[in-house]
Amino acid sequence: MNIPNTTTMFDERTVQKTVVLPLLGELYRVALRLTHSNVEAEELVAETVARACENIATLRDLTRAKQWLLRILTNVFFSSCRSKKRRQEIPYVEVDDDDDAASFSLFEALMQYGADEGNPERIVITKLLDEEIQSAIAALPEEYRAAIVLCDVEGYAYQEIAAILDVPIGTVRSRLARGRSLLQKKLYHYAKDHGWTSSPNISRKGKTNNESCQCGQD
Amino acid sequence: MNHASVDKISCRQALALVAEYLDKELGQLERAQLEQHIELCRKCFDRFEFERLLKARLTQLQRVEPSEPLRKRVELILEKF
Repeated sequence: MNIPNTTTMFDERTVQKTVVLPLLGELYRVALRLTHSNVEAEELVAETVARACENIATLRDLTRAKQWLLRILTNVFFSSCRSKKRRQEIPYVEVDDDDDAASFSLFEALMQYGADEGNPERIVITKLLDEEIQSAIAALPEEYRAAIVLCDVEGYAYQEIAAILDVPIGTVRSRLARGRSLLQKKLYHYAKDHGWTSSPNISRKGKTNNESCQCGQD
Repeated sequence: MNHASVDKISCRQALALVAEYLDKELGQLERAQLEQHIELCRKCFDRFEFERLLKARLTQLQRVEPSEPLRKRVELILEKF
């Protein structure tokens, strides 16, 4: 996309048309992944665009327009989540800051409780439905959800995510680690519900999860 | 970077690098250290491949486009300002 790069005067209407409309698809996709609801995603985008128009004078660098819009969108989203929690429309989820919160591995769980045949790890990834993955993302605490959506689904770099969420890059790293761990735990529950895992403690190779690595580099 | 010239790392160190490798956030040295490790360690290679596939699965979630009513609504908001 060819966004004019100027930090001086520019025509606001032109900016709205050349910046907002070409990014509408991206804004909507992020909104949909965050809210997991068409209706809420459309409301979130509309509110974001309205606020962007009101605050267009604060946009100084047009090359950062996407970051600026996504920052408004995530702020509106977080604010809406806080309101819903106050009104008890959504449950308050306590964020687990324990180190164990970032330590669940779906791979290790499947190796330990894996299916009896084939390659259970790959089977699980292949068989999971888009809807199940999106539900698992939607079940994450919103701070983790935003980090996962921006990094894993939309492919933003840590530095960009830090700027969008207005947090240090270290916070992006820890939110991603904890968010991925929770996401993998949720996906594991789906795998269990589908019956893609078998007896505990016996993997497909008859080895336990605790068996040490044989590469000599451990 | 020549893998022979980098220091070997343990499985624990290697697994700690996997996520940032897949996110393309590692420097050249750490990338080379992880690549060297998974070339030699089957278990870490399997874990690496699993995490790679899972990340790819998230990236490949169906790409949806905004509806026409939303596009029109946004154009109306833009017109008002």
